[in-house]
Amino acid sequence: MFRKIFLSCAAGLLAVLGASSANAEDGGLNDMQIAHIAYVAGQIDIQYANIALERSHNTDVRAFAETMLRDHKSVNDAALALLEKLGASPEDNPTSQSLQASAAAKRAELKALKGAAFDRAYAANELAYHQFVNKTVEGTFIPAAQNAEFKDLLGVALATFKVHEGHAEALVGKLGK
Amino acid sequence: MASLGVKVMRPGLWIGLGVMIAGGVLSLATSAAAETHVVEMRGFEFFPAEVNVAIGDTIVWVNKDVVPHTATAGDGAWDSGLMETGDEFSLVVEDTVNVGDYVCTFHPTMVGVISVD
Repeated sequence: MFRKIFLSCAAGLLAVLGASSANAEDGGLNDMQIAHIAYVAGQIDIQYANIALERSHNTDVRAFAETMLRDHKSVNDAALALLEKLGASPEDNPTSQSLQASAAAKRAELKALKGAAFDRAYAANELAYHQFVNKTVEGTFIPAAQNAEFKDLLGVALATFKVHEGHAEALVGKLGK
Repeated sequence: MASLGVKVMRPGLWIGLGVMIAGGVLSLATSAAAETHVVEMRGFEFFPAEVNVAIGDTIVWVNKDVVPHTATAGDGAWDSGLMETGDEFSLVVEDTVNVGDYVCTFHPTMVGVISVD
């Protein structure tokens, strides 16, 4: 199960990185595109968390999902506040669209599961999702960001998502195979 | 002789003695007064991670992170509840019930310790 989810995420993120590369050839992602992708990535995890709260009765899974809701909303709110301060708007782009398409497929997979199978699939997806998002933020977005305040906020977001990754890893271990 | 000695002290010495006594009283009062210890929540850690207090002291947690946190006793004896960015929570250490490990219930890797002198 985890391998399947991992490969699914990998395929989605490869598509994302492929899109990023395509943009890079045209001059690279700009801050407003990165902001849009980061915001979308946060919204996707909020949607996963909402599914978990609808379907799971596991105390640990529900607590994790509630933390994802709170934290991603806070990070996204901080991003919007910064953009407002800078007088800028997030810019939709192919990478955001690829992310959303991959997430829609994943949501459908999760909604087809229930009970312990759902809990394990949700936790495994959270781990894989955060691993790849973190890799992208750290390796691509932060180096590419131009505005200093925006770069700092991406650093704060990365620190947050790394904590989530660790939390997800612990959850996967606790739920077992 | 002792009282005579006191009487012959110059006004300046009286003033000096007064200052010394007042200073001593003030010093005692200061050392006995409750202190306030500030613990910042930032980068998903408590700073400082361990705070050493005396009974009667106050601990104030301040959330400097972008996301909400809690400061919650390991035994559940006290709980800040949800603290948004910039929120503060104060705890008066009234007895040893309040000491020991505490966590952020949202982020279990965030742990802190209160120890009493």
